[in-house]
Amino acid sequence: MAKIIFYGGKGGVGKTTCSTANSISYAEQGLKTLLVSTDPAHSISDVLGMKIGKKIIKLRENLDGLEIDPEYEAELYVNKIRENMKTILSNVIVEEINSQLDAAMVSPGTHESALFDKISDIIIDKFDEYDIIIFDTAPTGHTLRIFTLPNLLEGWMGSLAKKRRTIVDMNKMVTRENDKKDPVLEILEKRQKRFGEIKKIFNDNDNVRIRFVLNAERLPIEETKKAIKMLSQFNIPVDTLVINRIMPDDIGLDFWEKKKAQEIEYLQDIENEFKGKEFIKIPMLDVDINKSTVDRLSKFFND
Amino acid sequence: MNKIKKIITDFGLFFKGATDFKGRAYEMLESERKIEMDNFILICFSDQLGMPLPTSYYTLELLPYLVDEIQDWDKRMGNRKSVWEERWSNYDLDP
Repeated sequence: MAKIIFYGGKGGVGKTTCSTANSISYAEQGLKTLLVSTDPAHSISDVLGMKIGKKIIKLRENLDGLEIDPEYEAELYVNKIRENMKTILSNVIVEEINSQLDAAMVSPGTHESALFDKISDIIIDKFDEYDIIIFDTAPTGHTLRIFTLPNLLEGWMGSLAKKRRTIVDMNKMVTRENDKKDPVLEILEKRQKRFGEIKKIFNDNDNVRIRFVLNAERLPIEETKKAIKMLSQFNIPVDTLVINRIMPDDIGLDFWEKKKAQEIEYLQDIENEFKGKEFIKIPMLDVDINKSTVDRLSKFFND
Repeated sequence: MNKIKKIITDFGLFFKGATDFKGRAYEMLESERKIEMDNFILICFSDQLGMPLPTSYYTLELLPYLVDEIQDWDKRMGNRKSVWEERWSNYDLDP
């Protein structure tokens, strides 16, 4: 039985680093692991220094990787529809519909739907092939949507299928065609079944886990509290929190001097890389930034 | 007693149906079918009317199979004289 782990968390807390490190650990334990990035920024490639693409590739022993590109998946889907059209319809109509399909590609829901479709495909198709599938998701809000969609979509598809069944029955009464199977109804029922499969997998608490990454800082803590509250409304347990970037206990000057030296290098990198741009430099404060302390930073923005 | 009543009712229905020859029954069925079809097409392709739904992406692949029905829908929407008359004329709504 595959365990499916979704890594969530605010942007910048180190989600990608942690999910990658976690996947390496599982792989070294001998568990066949698949690491999937759904984050448009695709930082896993950056972390591992390897080019991870749309096809599953082997990263290490027992560890495979994949990056989901929703735009690419949507194009694949729409092109399949175009191909399908040519066998059913005349050229004139195909041209008309082509422009409708082009418009649909840039519709607001397309990106999220294509992403969810691919995630579903991976979970259903690769369930038995891997011991563990880890999804590195984009910052928090996006993660939550994935878990509400199976229920929602199964319901919607069910309603549509029911409507279509009514129409098919009425058609039979009017034209008395009893033998032909309605392709529209077949497609709707297939989709409904697939969403039902995903819903079942998500509803089984033993299959799916969410791990939240946070730092020991105020804002990530607030964000995590909100996210857990929201997810609890959908019966999704977040049983493990990954607290990233904890400073060493016996912190000494050595540690900070090394950090500072590295920072100076990166500052120089920035000035080289972005020559000609204006730089506004803000210092790290030794207190949390909140309503009383944010004024301390404003004086650095003297442009 | 009930059995006799049922037989008489069935006889009545039989004659009603046998003498109806694509008359009112057919019209009622057609009109009902068109209403169901209109609703169905609206939900499938609402995205193209500017109203995206969670299912819009997934109903796209139905497009090739529904072309004829969409063309009929288009004609019906264009020739529409009164929505009220279409949907509510069968009901006696005046107080």
